[in-house]
Amino acid sequence: MNAPREPVRILIAALGGEGGGVLVDWITRAALDAGLHASRTSIPGVAQRTGATTYYLEAMPAERGDPPPVLGLNAAPGRVDVFIGTELLEAARRAEAGFLTRDRTLALVAHRRAYTVTEKSEGGDGRLDEQRLAEAVRATARQAVIADYDALARQTGAPLNAVMLGALAASGALPIPPDAFRAAIRAGKAAESNLRGFEAGLSGTAPQPAAPEAPPAAPDALGFLPEEARALAAEGGKRLADFQDAALADAYLGTLRRFAAMPGADGPLLASLARHLALRMSAEDVIRVAQLKLRDARRPRLAAESKARPGDIVHVVEFMKPGPAEVLSLLPPALARPALRLCERRGWMGKSVALNVSPTRPIGFLRLRLLAGLRWWRPRTLKHHEEQAWIAEWLGLVERSLALGADVAREVAETARLVKGYAATDARGRANWRRIVAEIVQPALAGELPRDIAADALLQARLAAQKDPEGDSLDRTLAAVAARRGAPPRRLAAE
Amino acid sequence: MEVSFREEIASLRLGAGETFRGEGILAVTKALLQSGVSYVGGYQGAPVSHLMDVLLQSEELLQDLGVHLQTCTGEAAAAAMLGASVAYPMRGAVTWKAIVGTNVAADALSNLSSPGVIGGALIVVGEDYGEGASVAQERSHAFALKSSLILLDPRPDLPTIVRMVEHGFELSEASNTPAMLELRIRACHVFGSFVAKDNRKAPISFNNPAMPARFDYGRLAHPPVTFPHEADKMARRLPAARRYILEHGLNDLLGPPDGELGIIVQGGLFNALNAELAAAGLSDAFGRVQLPVLVLNVTHPLVPEQIAGFCAGKRGVLVVEEGAPDYLEQAIGQILRKAELNTALHGKDVLPMAGEYTPPVIAAGLAQFLERHGRRWTALPSLAPAGVQAAKAAIGTPLPARPPTFCTGCPERPVFSAMKLLRQETGPVHVAADIGCHALATFAPFNQGNTILGYGMSLASAAAVAGTNQKRPVAVMGDGGFWHNGLNTGVAGAVFNRDDAVLVVMDNGYSSATGLQDIPSSKAGSGEGRGKAVPVEQAIRGVGATWVKTVHTYDVRGVMRTLKDALSDPVKGLKVIVARGECMLARQKRLRPAQAKAIAAGERVVQSRFGIDPEVCTGDHSCIRLNGCPSLTLKPSGDLLKDDPVAHVNNDCVGCGLCGEVAHAAQLCPSFYRLDVIRNPSRADLLKHRAGNWFLRLLGGTPISDLPPLRPPAAVPVPAE
Repeated sequence: MNAPREPVRILIAALGGEGGGVLVDWITRAALDAGLHASRTSIPGVAQRTGATTYYLEAMPAERGDPPPVLGLNAAPGRVDVFIGTELLEAARRAEAGFLTRDRTLALVAHRRAYTVTEKSEGGDGRLDEQRLAEAVRATARQAVIADYDALARQTGAPLNAVMLGALAASGALPIPPDAFRAAIRAGKAAESNLRGFEAGLSGTAPQPAAPEAPPAAPDALGFLPEEARALAAEGGKRLADFQDAALADAYLGTLRRFAAMPGADGPLLASLARHLALRMSAEDVIRVAQLKLRDARRPRLAAESKARPGDIVHVVEFMKPGPAEVLSLLPPALARPALRLCERRGWMGKSVALNVSPTRPIGFLRLRLLAGLRWWRPRTLKHHEEQAWIAEWLGLVERSLALGADVAREVAETARLVKGYAATDARGRANWRRIVAEIVQPALAGELPRDIAADALLQARLAAQKDPEGDSLDRTLAAVAARRGAPPRRLAAE
Repeated sequence: MEVSFREEIASLRLGAGETFRGEGILAVTKALLQSGVSYVGGYQGAPVSHLMDVLLQSEELLQDLGVHLQTCTGEAAAAAMLGASVAYPMRGAVTWKAIVGTNVAADALSNLSSPGVIGGALIVVGEDYGEGASVAQERSHAFALKSSLILLDPRPDLPTIVRMVEHGFELSEASNTPAMLELRIRACHVFGSFVAKDNRKAPISFNNPAMPARFDYGRLAHPPVTFPHEADKMARRLPAARRYILEHGLNDLLGPPDGELGIIVQGGLFNALNAELAAAGLSDAFGRVQLPVLVLNVTHPLVPEQIAGFCAGKRGVLVVEEGAPDYLEQAIGQILRKAELNTALHGKDVLPMAGEYTPPVIAAGLAQFLERHGRRWTALPSLAPAGVQAAKAAIGTPLPARPPTFCTGCPERPVFSAMKLLRQETGPVHVAADIGCHALATFAPFNQGNTILGYGMSLASAAAVAGTNQKRPVAVMGDGGFWHNGLNTGVAGAVFNRDDAVLVVMDNGYSSATGLQDIPSSKAGSGEGRGKAVPVEQAIRGVGATWVKTVHTYDVRGVMRTLKDALSDPVKGLKVIVARGECMLARQKRLRPAQAKAIAAGERVVQSRFGIDPEVCTGDHSCIRLNGCPSLTLKPSGDLLKDDPVAHVNNDCVGCGLCGEVAHAAQLCPSFYRLDVIRNPSRADLLKHRAGNWFLRLLGGTPISDLPPLRPPAAVPVPAE
């Protein structure tokens, strides 16, 4: 007696709303039309709401006089023949759960990320490493095809699920002829675009994900900097010349030169300085925003996003809402400070004018033009003075912490990451920065915190503040640091 | 809301000998019609919503058959509807999601089963248990036991499911007992086929109405007859049911007639068990098991002689029974004891007491059982899935969960953005959450909610907090929950007790989370719409609430202001905020085709979407922490200096406007812009546009239209689902 017939088992991991249900339905109908025994089921849950969902299908060649088959409703680890994933993280999740195995699983995965809220929410870069996710699939599957099926879908103007169906048909994992799949698609909605996608997937021309391009070569003029800092410094200089003038760019490079000359200043430190100094020196103010909103370079992107066809009219509406802080900080400190104090007292800081400026209309364009035209005035503004003061303080701390070692100095330099955003976000960032300075940097410089702890403490604190800037993870980290140096953290001590 | 079921409806019309193809729950629907039901009702909820959704669109078919269809306002109403079968020899079926729905229906169920039924009564419950479940994990079995209902748990293949529906009615009539058909999530969605029969016209229907029943005190669930009812259940109905189960072989005896080891399994778990047996070399893909298996398609009542007969002469028996408590194992143990059989009884000793019986779980239990009795078997792969470690090593970090989120452009999200902004301003408040889409606000990025006590229960669950908390609690409720019972248990109760609380009612026009069913406040019936457009505010004022304000959800600042007022109002008492905004899924379902048509027809259409300037975005992502829209995501900054990703609005954007609103309300940042595209502009548009561009050039600007023409972009891929 020959070996018992076994069904081909297919697990599909998708996100709600991606059409995974439709995909598995196409496969089922094609299987039945091809005369197979087939059964499938799904866990749609709140399907259209972008949560992780799975679909499972079993199909088996039928023979005359077969009794009714008893097909499974649950995918079993170690018993999945074909895995289809529309997203890398969900594919990796199934690999981690043991559904992909070396002995049998063919994995067809779209090299595409839909970031989770957790990843997106982080103040810095919370994204998982795509390569590692892809590796998890490669490391566990018998054969892994990880291609940019999503790009293929966009190129053909077809949904991803149809492209994946094509890829499945091409793999020959199921004894189902392409025409059976085509028939299944025709029986459903939006047949043309779905067929386009199917053929694209079937032709197996899914592009491999593009490799990240290397940074531009740095000019020799920056020879005073180590290799890893040059490209950044070059870009920084350009940025500042554009932001203000050549003088500012020179000041920037001058500062870098000064640090480069310091004993112990290593490449990573100077790279970090080159990056953050440029960003802080070109901190976006109303003037800069207006300047950027008028850039020609921006318009092709807008036109593309608008999907405007010839003859359509496109208008852009900017959501700018400067509050007293932003507006008054355009005045010289002597005027701005008292005005701001007044607003504080009257509780007007929350007030702000919603400017829905439209640069595609003459009036809006003119408004932005006038704002952008204030560039010459910038050096006189309070905003500029405050930024300069902050930068001076920050650089001072970096310089002094060099005595504790380049690694500490680098972490001090990196704290500049916490200062970003506008209005409330900016304020919160600065507040968090102040706390880290007060509770780690200063103690370290004062010798209250061992230098070998300092660098790590700074890293942990920065990551905590980036993880949830509004949350309390920074409190907890600082409390832990304070415990290390045997003093209550200031905030907690105050309570 | 119209979601078309053309194909499904056609399959409900199939006649004798034709092959039905579809999902389990649709097969049940067809089986009801084949059983000649007089009436059908229910309350929506995954995984059984489909049953009602499809029938609601099968008006013609129901007309022919004379079937009365009732969209019940809750499970209690649905259960009470079965009262028709108490007084008349009519078959009827109702459906809902268990366990929650059965809880709500419990009162009526007791009073239904006390007198019993003279027409077959079937309750189809979607057992929302295990992966994908959205409710507290409990067993419907308990209700079958306490109210002595028949409980059917068919093997998850369409022929058996259909057979059990048909027998369910016969059995219900043979024993005057209401029957409950339990279908797990996967069984509801399993796609298969069966050979159809003709639909049957019921003897009593709206085409052929009955005479009012004569007065019969014995049919009332009212003392003194409730005492004889109880006796009758045990003395007559239970034995009758057991007799029917045996005579019609509702439970399947599979495998060799005898062997020293046997397995007793709930019907619904048989396929999962068989897969593991096959992997162990003890069965095959056709369920030809090599050891005796008793498949219980009826899990209550058990037939003692059948159980005892199966166990007699066996060394050991394994009971595969999902969930706690182990009702079946206990009952079987008692049967063995009374039959003085010393067969070793296994179940929860080798299988876990709680949790879903997934393949690895069953495999582990099966392996232990076989080992203990020295039975040889081939290794089960699902026991030690290779690769887990390899994957973990490759990833190197715990993977973030991906719970469902509010849909792109959801009208409820802005309310929670407002609440989060307010929380940052005034500190936390107690939030009583509820069942519905809005419960997704318990996930990131909103992370709020202190309790969830049930559908429409949020305000009631805050009653004691209202009097004992430093701040007014806020209860969030959907319009679905509001009509289900929130109006009474919540609003009326709070007004009556002068509770000092705030209620936010999400008025999105549908019962959205369950699949866009209409509710009393839905727009009055155009097309498939069954709504009566009953204003939520009027209902609230009707029960005596005076502080009632309506806000448009996308107006984040407006919502914040109103919430502030409600929380700070010096006068104690209930404050109700009706947050209005149509469900975006429904809106898009309607709008997209309409707009496409209009554009094709050359009509003037203005389409909007949002975008972010990567140069202006600093990559702080505070917008995402206040919003969480799926179309608001990340992309590389494209700037060598900014190594953190910047926020990015992808092509799914429906232009709801929340990004801009939040940017304003939080004074967030100027990176956001809105693109308004005028398709097929009118003459006036063109004139204004030309004039505008002329001025622009005069001022030294370059109009967008002056750019080198781009190749027309491909259409946005929209999943066919």
